[in-house]
Amino acid sequence: MEVSHSVKERTIAENSLVILLQGLHSHVTTVDLRDESTATGRVTNVDAFMNVRLAEVTYTDRQGTVSHLDELFVTGRNVRYVHIPDEVDIRATIERQLQAIHRVRYFGGRDKGRKEFPRTKHK
Amino acid sequence: GGAMSFLKRFPPPAEGVRHQQPDTEAVLAGRTLGAGTLYIAESRLSWLENSGLGFSLDYPTISLHAVSRDLNAYPWEHLYVMVNAKFEEAETKEAPMAEGEEEEDSDDDIEPIAEFRFVPSDKSALEAMFSAMCECQALHPDPDDEDSENDYEGEEYDVEAHELQQGDIPSFYTYEEGLSHLTAEGQATLERLEGMLAQSVSSQYNMAGVRTEDSIREFEDGMEVDIAPVVAGQFEDAEVDH
Repeated sequence: MEVSHSVKERTIAENSLVILLQGLHSHVTTVDLRDESTATGRVTNVDAFMNVRLAEVTYTDRQGTVSHLDELFVTGRNVRYVHIPDEVDIRATIERQLQAIHRVRYFGGRDKGRKEFPRTKHK
Repeated sequence: GGAMSFLKRFPPPAEGVRHQQPDTEAVLAGRTLGAGTLYIAESRLSWLENSGLGFSLDYPTISLHAVSRDLNAYPWEHLYVMVNAKFEEAETKEAPMAEGEEEEDSDDDIEPIAEFRFVPSDKSALEAMFSAMCECQALHPDPDDEDSENDYEGEEYDVEAHELQQGDIPSFYTYEEGLSHLTAEGQATLERLEGMLAQSVSSQYNMAGVRTEDSIREFEDGMEVDIAPVVAGQFEDAEVDH
């Protein structure tokens, strides 16, 4: 579960739909860019500023030329639309991301390995 | 070829250089600018030809960057950088170089785009170059973004304090509960911390997490824990069961 190490970024994510995009980690997704090019690839990271990092990308530029990129980073400013894949349950994804943020928050630290105090109902 | 008018002479960046890649060719819209060194610094992206001429790109103007190994699209593996700006490729007296540029000039609706390619002689460096750019790009979020509120400092703390007061969801264990859930590693950690505590009390240092009247300690993530002021030595007679 990818949760930002930054307090500010967690708060931004929690209060916007960026949190949904962050839940698309590892899903193949199509991103429409502001200049009308599109990129389809596997989501490897989305940060609170909606910067999107994709791997194994098929990129179609605004003239329609198709090329393949190993990795692509699009700035949030240039993202016009992110297609949510059909197999993604939007509500469940948002809830899962919120739980991940809350797990990090309640145990006060940035370490992911807080296994000493697991919540019993998640065992 | 003719000199590119946007090339300038400047010293290489000295601070915040996340990655530096020598022997890297820079290409603009299909025309090579020569061989030089690419500097991926936190403040801006710079490329300096071996002659000392070069250019810089500001991260807010960079729309996207990518690693391209598709030799059908371009014959060499490279770092592709798309910039939301115009770059003059030749002096105005000369004939325009790239056909595509003229069309874009006349169409006001289409934003200017400049395509740079940085071709390192060491292909294996592309991942590091890409990652360094991602890190630096993230340091320059869009200031014009209306959606993201300006100031989130301290807000997460307020939410947490409010939720903790609700007391509905047990997010903390009492001592006995927590102890029984400890793994061997957690147990060792607890013993070590208690040892440190005992040690620091005896030498009258400020204890982490405990505030005396003289010390104010903020946790790294901005969350202030409200503990009543204590006097060093308060825990000397505490009993601890292992």
